[in-house]
Amino acid sequence: MRNFLTLLSKEEKAVFSSPIAYAIIAVYLLLMGFTFTLMLFLNRTAELVRVFFQAAILFLLIVPVVTMRLLAEERRSGTLELLLTSPVREIEIVLAKFVASLTLVALMLLLTASDAVVLGMYAEPDWGPIYSGFLGLVLLGATLAALGLVISGLTSNQIVAAVVAMGVGILLWMIDSIGHLLPDPFDTIVTSLSLVAHFTPFATGALFLSDLGFFLTVILACLFLSVRTLARR
Amino acid sequence: MTAVIAAEQLTKWYGPRLAVDDVSLTVGPGEIVGLLGPNGSGKTTILRILTGYLQPSAGTARIAGLDVVDDSLAARRHVGYVPEDAPLYAGMGVREFLVFMGRLKGLTATGVTAAVDAAMERLGLGPMRSVLIGRLSRGYRQRVAIAQALLGNPELLILDEPTNGLDPRQIIEMRELIRSLGGERTILVTSHILGEIERVADRVAILLGGRLLAVHALRASGQGQRLRVCVRGDEEGVRACLSRVPGVTTVGAQPVAGMSPPTYVVEAEGPSVAEAVAGAVVAAGFGLLTMEPMPVDLEALFLRLTGDRPGASA
Repeated sequence: MRNFLTLLSKEEKAVFSSPIAYAIIAVYLLLMGFTFTLMLFLNRTAELVRVFFQAAILFLLIVPVVTMRLLAEERRSGTLELLLTSPVREIEIVLAKFVASLTLVALMLLLTASDAVVLGMYAEPDWGPIYSGFLGLVLLGATLAALGLVISGLTSNQIVAAVVAMGVGILLWMIDSIGHLLPDPFDTIVTSLSLVAHFTPFATGALFLSDLGFFLTVILACLFLSVRTLARR
Repeated sequence: MTAVIAAEQLTKWYGPRLAVDDVSLTVGPGEIVGLLGPNGSGKTTILRILTGYLQPSAGTARIAGLDVVDDSLAARRHVGYVPEDAPLYAGMGVREFLVFMGRLKGLTATGVTAAVDAAMERLGLGPMRSVLIGRLSRGYRQRVAIAQALLGNPELLILDEPTNGLDPRQIIEMRELIRSLGGERTILVTSHILGEIERVADRVAILLGGRLLAVHALRASGQGQRLRVCVRGDEEGVRACLSRVPGVTTVGAQPVAGMSPPTYVVEAEGPSVAEAVAGAVVAAGFGLLTMEPMPVDLEALFLRLTGDRPGASA
């Protein structure tokens, strides 16, 4: 636990001392503000469904950029050797990196919460879907972060890590579309892998334990694989 | 006493390529052992297995009696490691980095301050304490890497090519540092340069193509030794005189032909032969001009061992 905190504070400093974090936050806020304003003045409804989907799409593109350097950079610069030859467990390293990248995602969501505050000030929104939507975004962000972490551990090139993580994330997002073309057992399997299929209920205010279970399973599987990529030497 | 390093039949395959082939090596407490071999001979792979970064394909290795695979975490606590080219976090300050590494090595919040200050003092890093590592020169980076390895006072230091990329003055400083650290702890150091190993190590292990060709003592205590003796006087007489000294096994030809006065290479067994040689030369009425111990001719040994093997020039 102490090692985890030492590693976490190092990772947090690395995330927030890099200009990447601020560029990401700025671009995210700009695009989200644009969407929120548009929705508010065009639709004139006190809901955030479209804002949540917009944030989800941005996460598909942005989270891989947050996670790309996590392990790839350590591998490229050789500091991974320093870390792995210290008396530290692989899981402590993986968790510290995961939590650090999650902090940035959480910060972005916290800033997006201002949209909900604005709605609350000028209207009487239905709060249920807003809470569940934010929960869905947290889970989606964490899933993409865990996915990005595994992929970052497989290469020493940050750009490769980012591009592959985007590709996998986007494919998983829309993979249900191909479900209709597949024969019986495979259509359900493929559809149930889809990120959008599990995210939509959250964004529209329908909470299912199965969707929560899906995201948590993918997160745990990715963290496990990250530990394995570090341990398999 | 347990050996600090006990490697038995270490073997490592990288896919189809055999990087380390059946290497066994034992290093006792306080020894400085050099791993010598051309690039790609398996030196770094052996170090990475000993430090727990890589797992051996076959064979076992123990650090202070702890298996590097089964007891990896405990074994790593006994090792301070400086990887090749001293990889460090460029975005961290010197002190910040050392505190981070000290904490990872299990030092307490109060203990780490004292340990980091001591390590910085030892390596002359005081003026650089808050400089970003990315802005340091190669020599300072190497020092930070060694300071990091000293934290937690490990009994074994493993240094991979510590003089690589340093300028001549820094190389001399690094050699002195390694020798001074050796008094307190066991050191395993690699190099592809003969002279570096010769100057710092007590024993040398010569590697080629992943195989351990020989382990040779460089600073033998009480065993054989070689003396270079420069004597004025009739050559035949001097030779006869030298070979009569008890313990002397051979009196070699002068290394530089035609050099005047002539120099003889005396190989002898047993301690304090030098005294006996000096006494005999003076008693026989010859002029003893200089006498100095000669290090083992590592270069000749290396060439002899590697000369007739494939891959020697690789």
